[in-house]
Amino acid sequence: MPETPFTSRRGLLFGAAAVSAGVLVTGCTSNESSDDKPAADNQPAADDKPGKPVTIGFAGPQADHGWLNAINDNAKKRAEKYSDVTLEITEGSNDTAQQIGQIETLINKKVDVLVILPADGKALTQVGLKAMRAGIPVVNLDRIFNTPQAYRCWVGGDNYGMGLNAGHYIGEKLKDKPDAKVIELAGLDNLELTKQRTQGFDDALKNYPNIKKVARQAAEFTVESGQAKMAQLLQAQSQIDALWNHDDDQGVGALRAIEQAGRDEFLMVGGAGALSAFQAIKADSGVLKATVLYPPTMAASAIDLARALGQGKGVGGLAEFEIPSSVTCYSAVVDKDNVDQYMSTGFK
Amino acid sequence: MTQPVSPPRDSTDKVPSAAEPPAWRAVLFRADVRTMSLLGVLAVLILIGGITKPDQFLDTRNLQLVLTQASVIGVVTVGMTFVIISGGIDLSVGAIVALASVWATTVATQEYGFGGILFTAVLVGLGCGLVNGVLIAYGGMVPFIATLAMLASARGLALQITDGRTQIVTVDGVLDLGERDSYVLGIPPLVLVFAAVTVIGWLVLNRTTFGRRSVAVGGNAEAARLAGIDVRRQRLYLYLLSGLCCGIAAFLLIVLAGSGQNTNGNLYELDAIAAAIIGGTLLTGGRGTIVGSVLGVLIFTTITNIFALNNLQSDVQQIAKGAIIVAAVLVQRRTASTT
Amino acid sequence: MAPQPPLLSMSGITKSFPGVRALDGVDLDVQAGEVHCLLGQNGAGKSTLIKVLAGAHQPDSGTIRWRGDDVTLRSPIAAMRLGIATIYQELDLVEHLSVAENVHLGHEPTTAGFVVRGRAAKASTARLLQRLGHPEIDPARLVGDLSAAHQQIVSMARALSHEVRLIVMDEPSAALDPDEVDNLFRIVGDLTADGVAVVYISHRLEEIRRIGDRVTVLKDGRAVAGGLPAKSTPTKEVVALMTGRNVEYVFPPRPASAPQGDPVLVVEGLSRKGEFAPIDLQVRPGEIVGLAGLVGSGRSEILETVYGARKPDTGRVLVDGKPLRPGSVRAAVRAGLGLAPEERKAQALLMLESVTRNVSVSSMSRFARLGWIDRGAELGAARAAVRELSLRPDNPDVPVRTLSGGNQQKAVLARWLLRGCRVLLLDEPTRGVDVGARAELYAVVRRLADEGLAVLLVSSEVPEVLGLADRVLVLREGDVVHTAPARELDEHRVLDLVMEGSPAS
Repeated sequence: MPETPFTSRRGLLFGAAAVSAGVLVTGCTSNESSDDKPAADNQPAADDKPGKPVTIGFAGPQADHGWLNAINDNAKKRAEKYSDVTLEITEGSNDTAQQIGQIETLINKKVDVLVILPADGKALTQVGLKAMRAGIPVVNLDRIFNTPQAYRCWVGGDNYGMGLNAGHYIGEKLKDKPDAKVIELAGLDNLELTKQRTQGFDDALKNYPNIKKVARQAAEFTVESGQAKMAQLLQAQSQIDALWNHDDDQGVGALRAIEQAGRDEFLMVGGAGALSAFQAIKADSGVLKATVLYPPTMAASAIDLARALGQGKGVGGLAEFEIPSSVTCYSAVVDKDNVDQYMSTGFK
Repeated sequence: MTQPVSPPRDSTDKVPSAAEPPAWRAVLFRADVRTMSLLGVLAVLILIGGITKPDQFLDTRNLQLVLTQASVIGVVTVGMTFVIISGGIDLSVGAIVALASVWATTVATQEYGFGGILFTAVLVGLGCGLVNGVLIAYGGMVPFIATLAMLASARGLALQITDGRTQIVTVDGVLDLGERDSYVLGIPPLVLVFAAVTVIGWLVLNRTTFGRRSVAVGGNAEAARLAGIDVRRQRLYLYLLSGLCCGIAAFLLIVLAGSGQNTNGNLYELDAIAAAIIGGTLLTGGRGTIVGSVLGVLIFTTITNIFALNNLQSDVQQIAKGAIIVAAVLVQRRTASTT
Repeated sequence: MAPQPPLLSMSGITKSFPGVRALDGVDLDVQAGEVHCLLGQNGAGKSTLIKVLAGAHQPDSGTIRWRGDDVTLRSPIAAMRLGIATIYQELDLVEHLSVAENVHLGHEPTTAGFVVRGRAAKASTARLLQRLGHPEIDPARLVGDLSAAHQQIVSMARALSHEVRLIVMDEPSAALDPDEVDNLFRIVGDLTADGVAVVYISHRLEEIRRIGDRVTVLKDGRAVAGGLPAKSTPTKEVVALMTGRNVEYVFPPRPASAPQGDPVLVVEGLSRKGEFAPIDLQVRPGEIVGLAGLVGSGRSEILETVYGARKPDTGRVLVDGKPLRPGSVRAAVRAGLGLAPEERKAQALLMLESVTRNVSVSSMSRFARLGWIDRGAELGAARAAVRELSLRPDNPDVPVRTLSGGNQQKAVLARWLLRGCRVLLLDEPTRGVDVGARAELYAVVRRLADEGLAVLLVSSEVPEVLGLADRVLVLREGDVVHTAPARELDEHRVLDLVMEGSPAS
């Protein structure tokens, strides 16, 4: 196994930082305890030591949302930590044609591995296939391509799980309350992920016959729409016991509407994991008691996986020779008890 | 050859007087009919809301809510109405609201407190309006293109300033304006601003030389020019006015949402144009009313409110909104052609 | 002559619009092969009648018989199928399409029902243009690039591209030069020789005398006379029928002594390349100076350049000895110039607005303090100006679009009267103004001059220039070929000068 000795100060510093970050990656990529040692020690698992240099091409959508911005940050910071990784990052674009062009440029540049967060998974499947055929393995981040042939590994969040975990959290809090009323402030209804989140939430609530979802309105992931829709929901329902809001960004607006309406009789669970939400949970001064993660650290994990791919290694802590073909990040519930652990991953 | 088929039946001198007065009365009546039909639509909506959700809909708090939600887009629509009356269009209003709202809520701006935020929002709005106006009036660009370019660049700049982050406002004076404690006689301050902009807009359009010139430029730009009106300067002022309204709207939005975000003002251009059109403003210019536009805004906001109170989802809301636009315009065409 | 059923027979046609009864039991019958002239003042119902005939309006009552059979003209297409074609005054051509495409619009020659056979369309268009005496028009050119006269030819070619039995022509000669009018009459003659009937609408009595067979006169939505012999009915009788009054086509008398005093308007060496050569002229207060010449001789261009609506290449314009900023309408208006342009609806009037607002638009700041309009003062001033010009109706609140052509022109004059302008530029002041109203308009212009206004007049109707102006400049292709007091010229002499270009004397 070719190894470059630690030479640079930078490597040392980032090596240390990466160890602490590694805890998060484990939280995201692995459901197994890290105490389980691999069966054999001779599998080449990726670690923080510099290895074969890898050029990773990264193409994402326009960072017009806090979470997407955090995705870019996570990818960049993670790549900086490795002295053997060069990151070619494109200007984010929401235009399918433009993103295809950007990815083709990366293919022509012959990067070693591609990490793609498509603006539209279905529409970019062809260019994923093209990269794979050109011998460039693709790590598909979050928004999934149409066919597994278009990626070597998919890593993403669990929208259904978000709803499920939010529903269970609320269910447990309200299980002793007869005739509990719950409302849902959903995200953009045009998106599949919004449907999945709602489905998970509804499925979880089926376990609690005393709880009824009395209203649902869809906002647009923006503060403005969150405020507007929340204000209407509160007017429609004069008394509720819990609220699940799909997204912490629109949650800023929702919290504003709640404050303006002078309501505080219920508990609120957010989604995604914004820093402002974490801070509010920690302060425990308002209705927001918890948020369900859709971790932007998945971008860092994608860089890890891409680096392992480029160096022909598996994932540390797993017995496999190769990295997995699919990694679904867990949608952990962050509440007052564990918020400190996640505080550094909160996005603005 | 044939001889006269119809001998002069009425060869005595008669001044043709019968036709004239009804003609102008019809015009006045028609203007009234337009407003009345909008009020009628609003009344029907209120009836629907009152029947389906009597407790929640017919409630002071709900009235406050509807008017508050109408305030931001309402102020934008007043500016847009002027621009459309003058024969132009401003596609950049939503983007200007976004840019003004994020520029006014950066950490640096917030240090200057209430005044800093208000001043910045208005100044950014005026600045964008100035660019639009100069490009259109003196650069000879078509309004559609110039403001489309402004839409793209203002949104881009807003994104650059925020990096996609939500900028939360921490200035208490600004936040307090959106709270119930600051309602004046039960009227939210945002609604007061909206009302003031409406009244001032109505006065400016109907009682000032500025309003007259706007209508003249929209009705017949060449005639206005040959009558000695400085058409270009008037166009510049109109886009400045629209920018000013966007700046005010951005401030209201900051108060309402307690934050600035680059996604603010999403599709405001279409909502404002739709409200102005169902309010009876001619897209070709030369005619329009502030009252009609404001009624248009109130109709849209009331629909949204009724749908939300009845827990109907956004797909149904969008379909209904489209249907209302078509219905309102058809009704107006009908009343306009039969009276 | 054996009585045969008329080609077209309309009887008892009524049509009402909100507040207006446009047609009140009109009868009209047209024989195959005749030129039937339709006369009447503006608002008499001519336009409505031909729109009913074209299928564009549905009558409220009355019957239409076509070759002896009752028909209903449900749409313009239905009328076209019967063989009725209409050439409107406002040409309904698509500027961005070619001549051939316009001619065949709606009935393009096609292969398999949808593939347009462009070459066939061009060939048939070329044949039609040949027949109309204008083979020089290229079927492939864009209509927007053609002159008004040529556009009219295209419009006519379009009418002839169908199988026609009846052509309605709404003031076809309004935009044409004399020789083009001759060509038009030749075409009309050819058509009637083929048995096609022509319904011809015109304000010009002399044209009706030349080509008309019979005349129907409309007044206030009624046919006050039908089928009068066009050539022998005395003019006085026709005018009396149209106006309900016995009006002589008269010009107001000129003042006894020629106006003296320093010229208020001085034009020095003003020119625009390709439009008109350097021109010098002076107008004194109280004087009416006329520019005569053919269409395309640069008359309108000269006026618009003096007014600052066009920027001159050379020369300057002085008012009271002070030069105006070139190319600035605002500077001209501020110095006291006022223009009544040729295209009143397109260039002067705010058609959606009231008379008051049309009149006050150039003097708004006079009624405004800090931009705030004193509407009482505005209305009062507008009312006074409307009264002074005896504009009818004398209620300045009516929308300007409900006014007749002559009264619309008065509204434009009232605008400049209110502004207190000192030099009035009149471009084709009686275009679209009916005969009865013209004399009144001439009187108004003369009165304004008598009150000290300087007037610069442009008209394509030579008698108008000769009758109204004190001094006349004759133009030929942008050059002034002659200047003389109007009383020393007659129509013949002017036309000679225009045609021959004999040196200025």
